[in-house]
Amino acid sequence: MAKRYLILEDGSAYAGEGFGAGATTSGEVISNLNLLGYQETITDQIYHNQIIVFAQPAIGNVGINHDSYESILPTAKGMVVRDVTNISTNRLSRLSLDEFLQQHNIPGISGIDTRHLIRKLRQLDGPMKGSIVDVADAHAFDQLNATVLTNRQVDQVATPKPYPNPDTGKNVVVIDFGLKHGILRQLSERRCNVTVLPWTASAQDVLNLDPDGVLLSTGPGSPLDLGDAVLEMIRTVQAEIPLFAIGLGHELFALANGAELKMLPVEYHGSGHPIRRIVTNDIIYATQGQGYAVVAKSIDRDRLITTYVDLINGTVQGLRHRDFPAFSVQFFADGAPGPHESRDLFDEFMEAMTAREG
Amino acid sequence: MPSLNDIQKVLIIGGGPTEIGHETELDSATVQIMTEFKKHGVRTLVIDNNPFSVALEEIQPTNMYVQAVTTENVRHIIEKDQPDAILPSLGGLLGIQIAQELIEDGDIGRFGVTVLGMAPATLRQINNPAALNATLKEIQEPIIEAQVVSTTDEAMGMVEAIGFPLIVKPVSPRVDTNRTICENVDDMLTALNQGFQQSRFDQCSLERSVVGYKEVEMVAVRDVADTKILICGLENIDPIGIHSGDSIVVTPPQTLNDREYQDLRDATFRIATELGIVGVLHLHFALNPANQHFYVTKIAPYFTRGVALAARTTGYPIALVVGALLLGQRLVDVKLPSGYVKQTAIMEPMVDHVGVRIPLWPFQEVPDADQHLDTVMKAVGSTIGLGRLVEEALLKSVRSSQFSPRDVLPSVSNLTDGEMIRQLIHPLANRILVLIEALRRGYSPAELSELTKIDNFYFVKLQHLLLIEQAIKDHPLDVDVLLRARYFGFGDGMIARIWQTDTAKIRQLLADARIAPTYKMIEPTAGEFPEKTSGFYSTFEYENESQSLGERTALVLGRGGNQLGPNSAAEYFTTEMLKQLKRAGYHTILMNTNPNAVAIAPEFSDKQYVDPIQLGDVLNVIHVEHPDIVIVPGNRHYLTRELSKLDINLHVLPPDQETDQPAPEMATIGVSLFVHNQHKLAVGVMDMIAPGMNKSLSQVTAFRMPAELPRSRRTNLVEQAKQAVSERQVTGMIQVLFAPKPDSDSHQLTVVGVRPSRLTEMAFLSKVTGVNWVRMLTRQHIGTLDDAELSAIKVDIHSNRVALMNAAFPFRQLHVLNRPGTTDQEVGATIAFGSSEALTLTNLSDTDELDRIINRTI
Repeated sequence: MAKRYLILEDGSAYAGEGFGAGATTSGEVISNLNLLGYQETITDQIYHNQIIVFAQPAIGNVGINHDSYESILPTAKGMVVRDVTNISTNRLSRLSLDEFLQQHNIPGISGIDTRHLIRKLRQLDGPMKGSIVDVADAHAFDQLNATVLTNRQVDQVATPKPYPNPDTGKNVVVIDFGLKHGILRQLSERRCNVTVLPWTASAQDVLNLDPDGVLLSTGPGSPLDLGDAVLEMIRTVQAEIPLFAIGLGHELFALANGAELKMLPVEYHGSGHPIRRIVTNDIIYATQGQGYAVVAKSIDRDRLITTYVDLINGTVQGLRHRDFPAFSVQFFADGAPGPHESRDLFDEFMEAMTAREG
Repeated sequence: MPSLNDIQKVLIIGGGPTEIGHETELDSATVQIMTEFKKHGVRTLVIDNNPFSVALEEIQPTNMYVQAVTTENVRHIIEKDQPDAILPSLGGLLGIQIAQELIEDGDIGRFGVTVLGMAPATLRQINNPAALNATLKEIQEPIIEAQVVSTTDEAMGMVEAIGFPLIVKPVSPRVDTNRTICENVDDMLTALNQGFQQSRFDQCSLERSVVGYKEVEMVAVRDVADTKILICGLENIDPIGIHSGDSIVVTPPQTLNDREYQDLRDATFRIATELGIVGVLHLHFALNPANQHFYVTKIAPYFTRGVALAARTTGYPIALVVGALLLGQRLVDVKLPSGYVKQTAIMEPMVDHVGVRIPLWPFQEVPDADQHLDTVMKAVGSTIGLGRLVEEALLKSVRSSQFSPRDVLPSVSNLTDGEMIRQLIHPLANRILVLIEALRRGYSPAELSELTKIDNFYFVKLQHLLLIEQAIKDHPLDVDVLLRARYFGFGDGMIARIWQTDTAKIRQLLADARIAPTYKMIEPTAGEFPEKTSGFYSTFEYENESQSLGERTALVLGRGGNQLGPNSAAEYFTTEMLKQLKRAGYHTILMNTNPNAVAIAPEFSDKQYVDPIQLGDVLNVIHVEHPDIVIVPGNRHYLTRELSKLDINLHVLPPDQETDQPAPEMATIGVSLFVHNQHKLAVGVMDMIAPGMNKSLSQVTAFRMPAELPRSRRTNLVEQAKQAVSERQVTGMIQVLFAPKPDSDSHQLTVVGVRPSRLTEMAFLSKVTGVNWVRMLTRQHIGTLDDAELSAIKVDIHSNRVALMNAAFPFRQLHVLNRPGTTDQEVGATIAFGSSEALTLTNLSDTDELDRIINRTI
């Protein structure tokens, strides 16, 4: 394997070995603390434009599996790992992580002291750009510093056209901001007849389909960059139809209902934080992946109720509308990858849809 | 049931002597839980008869019941001392059984005693497989159900539902039998015919065979509010069919995808909730790698070796947390010692390293045992390797498993191909070496995976190690290759052997190239939070997280994994020594690889290095820490020799058990003296009892204090002993051996030898005299023992209280004929006290055997 470098905006350079695609890449460098699930992570569109540093030191051990895709066309910018193993475990024994990354033009770099890097990233008070390059010279740093990362991430990854995921149960419209497939799997398990709409869909587009429920999906980037139209759509739809929002969807739901968002000094991606479910006072764990959080003080208590809170950093993890059957969670309730104990939120969504019928 | 807030006094059911299946991990957890109880103002009583117990050393004599761990004895203590609660989960499965018997007999209800950690109904289920299976079925957890049949026709009717392979075993067999795995009808009919004959009821049970499935373990904790966290998963490299205690175990699991892992986590949590466990839960699963189906195969709501491994490798302080949970605290409220980030207890551990545990087997000491690895555990200890790479962790664990004092791996290249294949299919204790040899001979990972049911991934990793080994061979003295080799876990000794040079040369190359290890903290948040835990392991990366502790530091090298011989006693010694060093103002650093060790718990030292106790790795730690003193265990001769060549203040403790003096053939009385400067303090006169007919000193495995002699004779022997010691240059705890004079009447005793006291006897002497001789010996070594203090110690060598210590042996578990064991074969021991010998005997477990011996010697 070729010697390559990870270089960072702060001028540091780390030597490692390249794997996956040989391309030069730049992106925001973030850390992921999950114990397992590299395939789910690398294919999740929330990592659009990001270079992911993995805390799990051994990557690639279980190859690429047909049921671990969170999207088919991953758009992460790179993987930084301690060690990668080229193994294929699928039935044709043909697809290893290395090959998969090559196919999708995603570079990886191994042999990096990822623990050091993560400890360093955790100390930051803002995003840090980085590049995976062949030569760590002044030119590479100039290029890196000149790189401007797009704030049109959702446009880049969300579907531009509607498509169906037919089944025989409830009619659910999913608004795609960079949808992770885990959400579709949860809806499929509950026999939902799903129509996925582009995020630019209007309230009228949604209502025309006469859905039983609407789900606002996860997605990358800042909710503040998406404009007011989508907030207007949410406000109209939530008054008419049960609504469930996850991740970026949750952030938009909060904005639409008057709450403010703040950017976290460091993005958090992990599943070790205890999350209190306020209504039952019990504690659950879930995969979290967020760069923004709802400002607790800004919540209009006449409109929204806080339903979940992260006990480590105090961030709001869930909201519910006082007047409408509309609720949201910051964490990934589909549990792909990560703990499953918040999957019952999909049952709650089903109940909300059933209640509306009754 | 009283509220948990009312609990002021708890009786801990101890783990008893070390044996196959449990080592010192129960003692370790007991000490930590006692610490936590004390913090909450709870008084702890302990029943245990393990003379090497550190917990018994920590506790007030009034709270200590040195008795065999039996239902009867526990009942008596409850009657007499009226504890508010009993805690069974530190006594292994026996603890659970005792608690259940007390419930069945009504004693728990009668005395209003609470059982900590689990409801009575749960206890009953843990002890009753049928009831447990019914519960698991109710919550739809997949279990392997056994069907009982009385005829071959019945069995044939079951076959379709169960499918081959299946397992046949006789119900309530008259003889010790094994399960038979049947691949087809013929196999089954043969097994049934034999099984019906062996069964007391002419019945056999039939169950689905999961042999060849992956074995995965999960360790979780749960509080009263039903908050659960998964501490970690443990993946057995060997498939079901080889006992998990005999398998190499990797954590976190490496060959499970996230869905499989989360499914097992879900099942673990459902079971924890259903059984209402408060504290720790350790589960085993059989996972079919082909279709992700799994079965629950074992439920252990108590402290186990798996729990100890989880604590050591994640850095999550399980025992401390469980101590608080047992008293009704919630995970969110648990306060950990400083060093841990505030909310560590409630965060699900994430780790950024790999841990590998490799078993140690007793076949060198018990060569006639069947050395095949199967469903019955044979290992007596284990060592762990930690690293950032799977290869690194695996190789470190192998290097720590004491194949060689010089840090080289033995070769099995002399195996014929046929033998090798046989051993691949029917593995022996050198399993890992045979797997490597097979790769060396050109078998592919896929072929070997097929043959052994070990995941392909591990062969790919082993193959990678062979590739690096080849690079070392091809590039003598190449620094880049050297760094790469160290990076992947090769030791200085291994590389020196390949390059036909010595370790000094390797050290020089490393120093010249400024290659030094980077130590990484063992902490449970994978770098998310600035934890300040005290455990470290080495790797070769960018950032080093371990800085010298500063002035006045002592580095103590542990003995590594548990083996037969005086190992539990050595563990007791090391722990007490660390305590004494700390008391003397030293910053203490321990290096050890035994996950079940007591001393390795963060409570006992300021810093712990989990790295192979091999020359190169020890020198690396010395380079970082610059310790004022280094303490090396007496059994590490090569290491001692090499370290003593350097400018290091070296002490050998625990003392070497081998001496230059030829040992006498036999001794019947031992007089122990503590020798310091001019002092020769008499510590005890003991009968040395050899259960064997063919008596030799190595068969002296039972002891009685004071010796059955008139006072005047004891006094006389002490005088003779002092005389013998004066004639020799010896210090420390010394044992003078006496035997009957040949050709004279047996009352005439004469000195036949002088030796440093054995570790087992030193522990015995401490327990009997109430003076901690390990600490005295430590102080002697570090120069803080003053004469006046020594003169002030009064030891009554004529005590009216009789004490007995009897070694325990692993023969039953190893299926070898019960016979008098030797000191090399001891796995543990029991101790008992009484006002008379008869009474003492009743307090000792396994009394029949000793009774017979003592009667014969008197």
